[in-house]
Amino acid sequence: MVAKPGSVPDFEALRELFKHHIESFDHMVKAGLETTLLHIKPIEVLDDFTTTKLRIWLENPVVYPPQKERISKTMREALLPFECRQAKISYAGKITIDVCFQYNDGPVIRENVNFGQFPIMLQSKLCNLRGADPKKLVSCKEEASEMGGYFILNGLERVIRLLILPKRNYPMSMVRSSFCDRREGYTDKAVVIRCVRADQSSLSIRLYYLRNGSARLGFWLRGREYLLPVGIVLKALIDTTDREIYVNLTSCYNEKYAKGKGAVGTQLVGERAKIILDELRDLSLFTRRQCLEYIGEHFQPIMPELMKDSYAIVADAVLKDCILVHLDNDFDKFNLLIFMLQKLFSLIDQTSVPDNPDSLQNHEVLLPGHLISLYIKEKLEDWLQKGKKLLMDEIQKKSNKFDFSDIAQVKKIMDKNSAKLVSASVENLLKTGRLVTQTGLDLQQRAGYTVQAERLNFLRFMSHFRAVHRGASFAGLRTTTVRKLLPESWGFLCPVHTPDGEPCGLLNHMTRTCRITSFFDSQGNIKDYFKIQKSIRDILMEVGMTSSLPKIFLPGPPEALTVLLDGCVVGCIASSEVEKVVAYIRELKVSSASVIPGDMEVGYVPLSMGGAYPGLYLFTSPSRFVRPVKNISIPSNGSESIELIGPFEQVFMEIRCLDGGDGGRKSSFPATHEEIHPTEMLSVVANLTPWSDHNQSPRNMYQCQMAKQTMAFSSQTIQHRADQKLYHLQTPQTPIVRTSTYTKYNIDEFPTGTNAIVAVLAYTGYDMEDAMILNKSSVERGMFHGQIYQTETIDLTEQRGKSDRSSRIFRKSNVEKLGCPSIDSDGLPHVGQMIRPDEPYCSIYNEVTSSTQTYKRKGSEAVYVDYVAVDVKNKKHIQKVNIRFRHPRNPVIGDKFSSRHGQKGVCSQLWPDVDMPFSGNTGMRPDLIINPHAFPSRMTIAMLLESVAAKGGSLRGEFVDATPFRSSTKKDGEGSDSKSGSLVDDLGVLLKEKGFNYHGLEVLYSGVYGTELTCEIFIGPVYYQRLRHMVSDKFQVRSTGTIDQVTRQPIKGRKRGGGIRFGEMERDSLLAHGAAYLLHDRLHTCSDYHIADVCSLCGSMLSTTFIQPQKRPVRQIGGLPPGRLPPGRAAKKVSCHACQTSKGMETVAMPYVFRYLAAELAAMNIKMTLKLNDGAEVGA
Amino acid sequence: MEGASYARMPRVKIRELKDDYAKFELRDTDASIANALRRVMIAEVPTIAIDLVEIEVNSSVLNDEFIAHRLGLIPLTSERAMSMRFSRDCDACDGDGQCEFCSVEFHLRVKCMTDQTLDVSSKDLYSSDPSVVPVDFSDPASTDSSESRGVIIVKLRRGQELRLRAIARKGIGKDHAKWSPAATVTFMYEPEIHLNEDLMETLTLEEKREWVDSSPTRVFEIDPVTQQVMVVDSEAYSYDDEVIKKAEAMGKPGLVEIIARQDSFIFTVESTGAIKSSQLVLNAIEILKQKLDAVRLSEDTVEADDQFGELGAHMRGG
Repeated sequence: MVAKPGSVPDFEALRELFKHHIESFDHMVKAGLETTLLHIKPIEVLDDFTTTKLRIWLENPVVYPPQKERISKTMREALLPFECRQAKISYAGKITIDVCFQYNDGPVIRENVNFGQFPIMLQSKLCNLRGADPKKLVSCKEEASEMGGYFILNGLERVIRLLILPKRNYPMSMVRSSFCDRREGYTDKAVVIRCVRADQSSLSIRLYYLRNGSARLGFWLRGREYLLPVGIVLKALIDTTDREIYVNLTSCYNEKYAKGKGAVGTQLVGERAKIILDELRDLSLFTRRQCLEYIGEHFQPIMPELMKDSYAIVADAVLKDCILVHLDNDFDKFNLLIFMLQKLFSLIDQTSVPDNPDSLQNHEVLLPGHLISLYIKEKLEDWLQKGKKLLMDEIQKKSNKFDFSDIAQVKKIMDKNSAKLVSASVENLLKTGRLVTQTGLDLQQRAGYTVQAERLNFLRFMSHFRAVHRGASFAGLRTTTVRKLLPESWGFLCPVHTPDGEPCGLLNHMTRTCRITSFFDSQGNIKDYFKIQKSIRDILMEVGMTSSLPKIFLPGPPEALTVLLDGCVVGCIASSEVEKVVAYIRELKVSSASVIPGDMEVGYVPLSMGGAYPGLYLFTSPSRFVRPVKNISIPSNGSESIELIGPFEQVFMEIRCLDGGDGGRKSSFPATHEEIHPTEMLSVVANLTPWSDHNQSPRNMYQCQMAKQTMAFSSQTIQHRADQKLYHLQTPQTPIVRTSTYTKYNIDEFPTGTNAIVAVLAYTGYDMEDAMILNKSSVERGMFHGQIYQTETIDLTEQRGKSDRSSRIFRKSNVEKLGCPSIDSDGLPHVGQMIRPDEPYCSIYNEVTSSTQTYKRKGSEAVYVDYVAVDVKNKKHIQKVNIRFRHPRNPVIGDKFSSRHGQKGVCSQLWPDVDMPFSGNTGMRPDLIINPHAFPSRMTIAMLLESVAAKGGSLRGEFVDATPFRSSTKKDGEGSDSKSGSLVDDLGVLLKEKGFNYHGLEVLYSGVYGTELTCEIFIGPVYYQRLRHMVSDKFQVRSTGTIDQVTRQPIKGRKRGGGIRFGEMERDSLLAHGAAYLLHDRLHTCSDYHIADVCSLCGSMLSTTFIQPQKRPVRQIGGLPPGRLPPGRAAKKVSCHACQTSKGMETVAMPYVFRYLAAELAAMNIKMTLKLNDGAEVGA
Repeated sequence: MEGASYARMPRVKIRELKDDYAKFELRDTDASIANALRRVMIAEVPTIAIDLVEIEVNSSVLNDEFIAHRLGLIPLTSERAMSMRFSRDCDACDGDGQCEFCSVEFHLRVKCMTDQTLDVSSKDLYSSDPSVVPVDFSDPASTDSSESRGVIIVKLRRGQELRLRAIARKGIGKDHAKWSPAATVTFMYEPEIHLNEDLMETLTLEEKREWVDSSPTRVFEIDPVTQQVMVVDSEAYSYDDEVIKKAEAMGKPGLVEIIARQDSFIFTVESTGAIKSSQLVLNAIEILKQKLDAVRLSEDTVEADDQFGELGAHMRGG
């Protein structure tokens, strides 16, 4: 079970978890950028005088692997990621693109332009680590299991978050009240389709339903939504007649099937078709030409680059660039529009239900490579446009120096517009996660696209790559509908692994086996979608699909089902045949020899009574969720047929669970598929909880949270890392009780806890309310020992202006050589040196001013210097230094620990070993005591099972498999040695064999008295995690200290030595107790106590002034420093400035803010007067 | 009351004695004494352990504190410990803990020069005092020298070096677990098992077997000849009440009666190797006596005697 030392474990399963990030990036650099450039429109610059036209476009992008800055002309060295982390630079490679120039129709002039340093994803095709085996990785100072998938920017590791997007190329019917607000006459119903071009840029189209029965097509152009009557678009797309449109639209209605099963059309469809056509007639648009001109006329003003073209060309551009952009063919667009109209009418007539936009069924995911190519496309377009503007400006200047026909001069102008900014903006996107864009790129949010990949522990790190976010715009919604766990996400998103609180339900994690489809097929070649789609069409035709051809009217449901292939109406299949066809396609999908890709989604929506709109929707696109299930309908010849299914088709499939039940399935709908293993519905982290099926479900959720904040063995390459903060557990252990997932993903490389002997008893009272007692001796022997590594980077080039940059070097001061022993002569601390608070650890000498500056340790604890790394790039003087400190973090009272079952607790005492209860037989003392009250209400039965199992396992010297859902996966005859077949009975037997109590109980003796405890104690090893919340990082105490300058109240903030606010609610509680003196102490004496002089005549406290006492010659008293004498209160003379007298001056104690308030009010011309009277009078 | 003495004369009978393991009976005393003995053995018998480490060079993968902690946990032979001084009480060195009376100096200088990983172990620690050395765990019976490398401190690869000076001091387990000489000390009450023969005869052989098997440990057995249940190893009984519960479940309560003898204990002592297990017990008794003397002789006790009267006399051993 455990890899032998020296042998290299297999990390393939682990790599699979990160694959979608890497594949999408690979595709981008291999082919995606090329496609992007094809979709960027060439710019044309016209010189009006010479009428020469210059076309400029981009071609042939090449991205190079990251390389070090040039050492010599010939030598170039690969830049390795660890160097970037330490030097705090970005892992990026050069990108070059050919900029092509063409005068009129002359020859094409190519210029290879460097577009700057493009960030490279680790382990992608361009990464220098790609293909390295674990040994090689270790020699590159990486983890043996380095999976990549992230970027290094300024030394920080950042991941692009996976984001949920609406499923591409699928018309979705929606009901949204905001649709009514478009304009007068709009209803809340629409059909929406997110069309995605080959370069992954997308454009959403909405087809709104109007109250009068017509429909409007809404599309976005330059950040504005334009609404066109759908009839105009239909007619403008192809040469067609009113009759054709009418027949096409009403094809879904047939009187024969009215109100029958699967009928989506009603006779109203015909009426609506008429209304749509009448609208055209009212505008007197009859032919295609008229429609095009109508569109062109309206859109020319907003398309300035087509100012000089005819209306038809403008209209063509609008139709091509804005409407149903995933299709190239106008005929396909027409057909899809008809289909969308039919779906819209069916939604209105309530013959189909709206699609749920929150359901995973209608979702796909935004992959890193796609986001970057979207962004770079816009940046390149901007760059071209800017270049055009520069050229135009130059032409307009009409200077003689500039010759437009001279390519060298044109290039020079273009160079003004730095090409490197394009890469810089991509880097900036990754650094900040913010999109800086004019158009919005059809994305819902502007910020939060990247997050830092924290290596707090391995599970947290890994979860960043498996997390799928619903989108930042949903976080602000007050409704909880988007956060709901829907049955559609079964098997794709883990129901357990979502955080509590704010992002609950929005930040989900993919299940263990969930994958994202990519551009690569199983052989690693880029898929040819054109070929695939063509062969799918051919296959469909073979099995009886009526192809959609011009002038042929396809029947609609329920007679036949429309077939959509990636959002293109390819034909229809008779509804009697369709089930056979689907089964056949699935068979082809599974067989490896066929041309149908294995990850194709066969979304067969059957006919129903007012259910989802029927049809056969086929998807081959990338960035869909897929997961493997067994296809049991295919007659297997020995081997199992594993089929990849998507969330869209899953809803309409019969997939059997492995629990042995029928799942309420009727015999007329036999299961065609079967789950492979029940644990596949859980994420990797949720899978690590042993026997999670025996726990109350929220406890498993808590465990997923806590596993990710465990202080664990975070990295094997700590020596080569310069993370700002790194938690490290010194003495980790492998869990005795573990799931199969633990072994599969080699979590042993990064263990997260310790097997502690846990006794469940109420022993001292120090284990109340989730507190726990640790055995002092166990801790002294190294249990839960750990440290925090913290790195300070000092970069001399960064600081101050350019003037004194070169003059600053790391050096100790000449003057005070003996001043600080902690600093060596090079200005840096010794490795291994202990540095106390406020002690200097680094010294910088300024050669010009010959002054030194020292960096001092802040904080309240002594730290050790772990490592000092210097930048050797600059040979003359060191300019950049990383100093890593080590904070010892051995367990103390107040540190937090947790088992793997959501049972967290705080250490309340380090109890002496001799006082701990002990076992009479073995002499065993527990490492940890928890209170039995932790169990009844929380029902974490698996923790008890783990204790029993681990005890048995440790006695037998074996690991115990704790994979959940054992009863569902157990084969007949296996593990049937116990009668009841329950888990406890298997575990109990193991204990009994070794002479222990069947139930894991033991007789313990009091460590203090030596007498037998009155009841038997449940004791056994449980894997405990140490959580990162430690008192040493959190405690906050203050008696006196810094105060706020304005209010003279204590400041807040732990770092600055502030206090904790004694707020209104705390005040209320003291009031309720009547603790007046305490209240006064907290809010006044210990806060901004102030004695003010108040003039009782005018009631002002601001007009009082000191009268400087006459300076009398005072004889110095030896011994007492002058001025330190306590100022006698009587000696002070105060007078009122307003009343011109010093009579009636009184001193009043008050909070200083009160005086501040008076001053602020005075500034607004409001006078505040105080009425003074004796306390006695108040009572009277 | 007059003349009645509470003092008892405890007896010790040794059953098994090895260097690092001892099993003995302690009779005619009560749980308080037995537990006191256990507690002293674990936490108050002094040993010598490395307490101060000065690291000169450490280029190993483990950090300084980690190595210092590991060094501290290495058991050192501590026969001298009883006669040594605590460095805090040492007059010779003003309590800085670096004189021969209260400390032992160790040196470790290892550098890996080969391509093979070098294990730095307790064998590489050189002591200034031949009587205080890291405990040798190698089995004298086996001649395999590769196994006798001692406790591994750290592993070095080529070019890594560890050079340090360590000072071992006397201490007790109460202060830090590294000074505890006992791996395990435990005792149990000696059980007295009475079988109800008459009731037992009412059981069939099958039932008897079932009953015997209900105990997780092998306490009872069925005589193959007479087919009678007999007690084979009463001390294997772990007070788990399994047999009693089983008897009740079979509808035969009172089938067996098990009494824990309140004045008779069976001790198991395992030593870490710092001192021999026999010496551990003797030292513990010695320290227990010293502690009692301290109580008896302290002035507080005399004052307290007046309050406690009769009982005070008892406390002083009267």
